[in-house]
Amino acid sequence: MKVFLCGFGTIGQGITEAIMLKKDFFMKRYGKNVKIVGALDSRTYVIDPEGLDPKALLDTKKKTGKVGTETYSKPSEVMDKLDFDVLIESTPTDIKTGGVGLENIMYALNREIDVVTVNKGPLALKYWEIMDLAKEKGCMIGFEGSVGGAMPIIDLCQYDLAGEKIKSIRGIFNGTCNYILTKMDNGQPFEQALREAQQQGYAETDPTSDIEGYDSACKVVILANSVFGRNVTFNDVDITGITSINADAVALARSNGMVIRLIGEVSPTKLEVAPRLIPKGHPLSLPGTLNTAEISTELAGPILISGRGAGRMETASAIISDLVGILDKRFGE
Amino acid sequence: MGVSIGAIMIVNAELFVNDLPGQLIGSLEPISLVDGNILGVIHNRDKIIDHRISVNLTFEVDDKRLDELKELWQSRDIVISNLGSVHETFSMEYILIGDVNAQYIEGLLRKINEATTIDEVNVSYSTKSVKNSAHTSLISVKARYEDNLDKIDAILRKECKQYNITYVRGV
Repeated sequence: MKVFLCGFGTIGQGITEAIMLKKDFFMKRYGKNVKIVGALDSRTYVIDPEGLDPKALLDTKKKTGKVGTETYSKPSEVMDKLDFDVLIESTPTDIKTGGVGLENIMYALNREIDVVTVNKGPLALKYWEIMDLAKEKGCMIGFEGSVGGAMPIIDLCQYDLAGEKIKSIRGIFNGTCNYILTKMDNGQPFEQALREAQQQGYAETDPTSDIEGYDSACKVVILANSVFGRNVTFNDVDITGITSINADAVALARSNGMVIRLIGEVSPTKLEVAPRLIPKGHPLSLPGTLNTAEISTELAGPILISGRGAGRMETASAIISDLVGILDKRFGE
Repeated sequence: MGVSIGAIMIVNAELFVNDLPGQLIGSLEPISLVDGNILGVIHNRDKIIDHRISVNLTFEVDDKRLDELKELWQSRDIVISNLGSVHETFSMEYILIGDVNAQYIEGLLRKINEATTIDEVNVSYSTKSVKNSAHTSLISVKARYEDNLDKIDAILRKECKQYNITYVRGV
């Protein structure tokens, strides 16, 4: 099993480490290794049809800031040089066009290569285009890590609850916003809570995507299409971020036994991301950086899950889960 | 045939049934027949008046079917001694952030009252003003029908969008 890694940032390095850690698991389950035959970051690449040493990849990136020494202009030119079975796509999300991530996914599917992606942009903009091409080419595509990081919501809804009618899903899908709102619960003003989130590494230098609700909106769109079979894109989501939530509003909520949380909600008719008033003690009042979702079902009633929504090894865990799903189908358990 | 759905009310009833086998069940069955939900039953054997035993019931029922229930009891020779009820209400909270002074909120509530019925409303304002002159208010409403909350929600959503007010609603 040969994999190619497009993107070698935090997630790319995490999955490299996870593949190294899971070497014995793959050998025991399938009688074969998962080999990384190529990896590229934003500027450089490295390939070896016989397999690269994962540890050496990580060491090189750490020492030089680059994964390889060769440069490229288009990822497809590098991937053209190799045969491989699965593309693991973790380039940065581009919510305007889908960016290079969309190009990489379409390229792989056109070559009849299975795809595992955590890139929300392509899925939030061109979900059905990607799925239709995957079906046409007989490919599998896993995207568990694109919603809720390590919280296994896609597989839970698509497989474990396959016979259920899911009525709605609402949840906290952005750990950064939840961290900021939790800090505000304790009396910190928005700007200070945001700065602290940046210092702790929870928020990007440019936090727009998180605090304006765009990141949550991407996840809501992915759930709407994959779980509810809707045909919607990022542009269809009714989005309100948390930038106008002030200390007064949080205090007013608190004095009435409530907290404010950024909630994504999706159902056959709803598609929304907005700050909501949540009673203290309600499952969606969760503090900190965790993600959580309340899945409302016809027979089982409400089902709650939560987990770490981001992070190097947490996202790697979701990618491994997709990889195992593909390997089980291709090679049998 | 469609069934008209009213508001859910919680009813406490004191009935007197004949002191014969099967009479307790006979007093409960009509509640099921009108799709009610029994919350509590006390069979008070110490309280006997005119050879009838007291049964105290608490149940939820659609208010539009209460008369039907009374007729069913009467047709079974069950005496209704006392009937008290409270309506179940649906509540929702909204925080508005922006240019929302008391005068504005008053106008907003007038618009809501013209469009639908609110059983109870409470408004709280933040105690301090914040920079860029944004004010914050919390509106708590109670309505007898869930549909009324949907109407309130639609009005607030439209108003807030029009006047650039951030609107945070409950779940």
